[in-house]
Amino acid sequence: MSKLLLKNVRLEEAYERENEHIVATRTGIYDVLIEDGHVQQVDKDIVADEDVEVIDAQQQLLVPSFREMHIHIDKTYFGGEWQAPRPITKGILTRIEEERTLLPKQLPTAAYRAEEMVKWLISQGHTHIRSHCNVDPQIGTKHIEITKQVLANYQDQITYDIVAFPQHGLLRSNVEGLIREAMAMGATLVGGVDPSIVDRNIEKSLQTTMGIAQDYNAGIDIHIHTANTLGEFEFYKLIELTKQAKKEGQVTISHAMALADLEQSRLENLVQAMAEVQMDVTTTVPIDLNRSTIPIPYLYNNGVKVSVGHDSLTDHWSPYGTGNTIMKLNVMAERFRFIDEYSLSRAWKYASGGITPLNDVGERVWPQVGDKANMLLVDGVSTAHVIARRCPITTVISQGKMIHQQDVGELKGEFR
Amino acid sequence: MKHWLTNVLLETGEYLKENDTVGTKVELFHLEITDGFISQIVPATDAIDSQNEVTDMKGKLLLPAFKEMHNHLDKTYLSLPWKACVPVKNLKERLDREAQELSVLATTGKQRAAAMIEKILKNGANHIRTHVNIDPYIGLKNLEGVLAALDDYKDVVTSEVIAFPQHGLLRDDVPKLLREALRNGATMIGGLDPAGIDNSIEPSLYEVMDIAQEFNVDVDIHLHDGGHVGYYTIDKWIDIVEDAKYQGRTAISHAFSLGDVSIMEQHKIADRLAQQQVKIMSTVPFDLRRLIPPIELLTEHGVDVHFGCDGFYDSWSPNGSGDILEKATTFADISRKLDERSIRQTLKYITSGVTPLDANGQKVWPNVKDEASFVFFDAVSSAEVIARKPSNRVVMSKGKFIN
Repeated sequence: MSKLLLKNVRLEEAYERENEHIVATRTGIYDVLIEDGHVQQVDKDIVADEDVEVIDAQQQLLVPSFREMHIHIDKTYFGGEWQAPRPITKGILTRIEEERTLLPKQLPTAAYRAEEMVKWLISQGHTHIRSHCNVDPQIGTKHIEITKQVLANYQDQITYDIVAFPQHGLLRSNVEGLIREAMAMGATLVGGVDPSIVDRNIEKSLQTTMGIAQDYNAGIDIHIHTANTLGEFEFYKLIELTKQAKKEGQVTISHAMALADLEQSRLENLVQAMAEVQMDVTTTVPIDLNRSTIPIPYLYNNGVKVSVGHDSLTDHWSPYGTGNTIMKLNVMAERFRFIDEYSLSRAWKYASGGITPLNDVGERVWPQVGDKANMLLVDGVSTAHVIARRCPITTVISQGKMIHQQDVGELKGEFR
Repeated sequence: MKHWLTNVLLETGEYLKENDTVGTKVELFHLEITDGFISQIVPATDAIDSQNEVTDMKGKLLLPAFKEMHNHLDKTYLSLPWKACVPVKNLKERLDREAQELSVLATTGKQRAAAMIEKILKNGANHIRTHVNIDPYIGLKNLEGVLAALDDYKDVVTSEVIAFPQHGLLRDDVPKLLREALRNGATMIGGLDPAGIDNSIEPSLYEVMDIAQEFNVDVDIHLHDGGHVGYYTIDKWIDIVEDAKYQGRTAISHAFSLGDVSIMEQHKIADRLAQQQVKIMSTVPFDLRRLIPPIELLTEHGVDVHFGCDGFYDSWSPNGSGDILEKATTFADISRKLDERSIRQTLKYITSGVTPLDANGQKVWPNVKDEASFVFFDAVSSAEVIARKPSNRVVMSKGKFIN
């Protein structure tokens, strides 16, 4: 029985109002006792038994930890030498062609780099990682093997999903058999990519994907980058298949770019249909000049859950990833103009699997006795403050154990 | 005072990597600094015979110090306890709220400005162009605080201080106050949305130019007005610059309207901006409701474009970091710069155009007699610095290390 007592943590208690506006978050100082990975007691002054490990939080804010919901740990330059990507000449196919020679070449360093990435993501407060993992004609299931091994080494620190991802096209590169093999090896979700522009057979691509998911009793996470009505068409097809296969709540669309550029009435209908089958979405919050960002708050408020992911830290696709989810939420805040305490505060849920210390009406709902002890200590005074001022994480707690500590110098609290 | 910086990594050219992509060639050098300037550059294989101070830079990459070209040192909440913005319905309400707060904030002006300068400097910028509110509510109070803070850093930070009519130019005694500010330490004259705020485009622009000529100072006008009213305002300003022979002495900040018009109109005005040497200052916002000016098109036409962090963590926005490098990273990211060469060229927007390599990959910086103002990084090329933003940096301004 492992016990951990967090002394003097700051918990959010309520929103403070000035006239009709929420202007601040009220917090209080508490002790939190954790036993066997779960919250056992939240109180003003808990006295530690002898067998309890005690951490003095020095009034740092306690917040729910992050879930990295879209990343590729199997193909990265992270942990290696600096290398800029090559210019794109044929859209997504540029990269698919490049991977045929690049990935076999990177095989000897793949495990080392994947592990460097996992360590970095843990240091940035993630206690769950969903990694897409290439399954293609050149690599076969070797990346699945590597990803599985690396993640298994960290299973006492994080939970994870491995998506069997046919990057070069399920049909286009003819890998149905390999995807099945990957699922048999322990991949937990069936992946996919652009049934139209990559596979050039929307119907058959989606049906095959769903067929595999049914056979292996697994969920689906499919990359769909296509724009407006094409994406819309693909989403509806996937919704239909989801219903038929009774896979409600088990299907994710990654990127889902079409949601950014559909006209409002069509968007409303589509979002409603997605919500009905509890389809969720992951996004990197892209801010490209030529692209819009999917309307994250609108989607969430209308029943489509949205989670963020970094996709890449630095690889042959892009060199700009940070793995820093507080930074990601800050980018989202700037993108959507979250500038007040309330809208900033509500953004935490996109990175934590929906968990926030206060609910929408400002009642304290986390942490409660029985909650999983996946949490962070941050040198800030409210979730809004942490997002706006990018306050640093000092401690990562996963399943009731302290798994990472970071020296950030003198604590500055509200002066960050 | 002589000082050797040994084992400094300099970019010296380009080469083709094994994988067929362009890489940046780097070599180690020793740099001798004398009284704030570079006095010798020798290969690291040379022995240095010196009685003087030596600092081993251990292979860190050398980049030119950055320039922060659009800031509001007077507005920030830095050094005060956390405070988010209060939601408002429109710009007028935001300005009203700011007005209510101004006199309270004025009492901590120097302290807050100093916190901002410190942040900017440690991130590698040793020049700050700041706008300072001159308005009917606080008069010259903010100017006093900002000047006092800048004075404390005068050995390592150069600055331009703009008398900025945030609450409108053509009202109350503002023109008189602006003149007073210019007599009391402000070094440039500002302006703000002649249509949106002053509701009088030409008189507002002429007043700005009149004051500029009267005091023989440069101009930097905030222009948020979007679409064709903003476009016309810039076009008209170019006329005024031409008539006043004020080429090279004026800038338009934000200039969102340039992103709102057709490509043809963008080309047309870019030519005029280049002819009259009107600079554009951008804070590279990526708010969904904003289009930024076409920075690359402007650059291709020869318009000088500079980045700034803007005011941040203030009554307008609680976000922002005070790291000008992050603005270059953001621009490279959102304009999809992917290869070594195109990423590298983004550096010029935060260094007033100074880059180690030119567009063709030829080494052009640093040279003997250049000012010894640098940022050192653990990196192997300026492209890596921009893309990966290494967190450890060492800053030197005019030959002095900043701790």
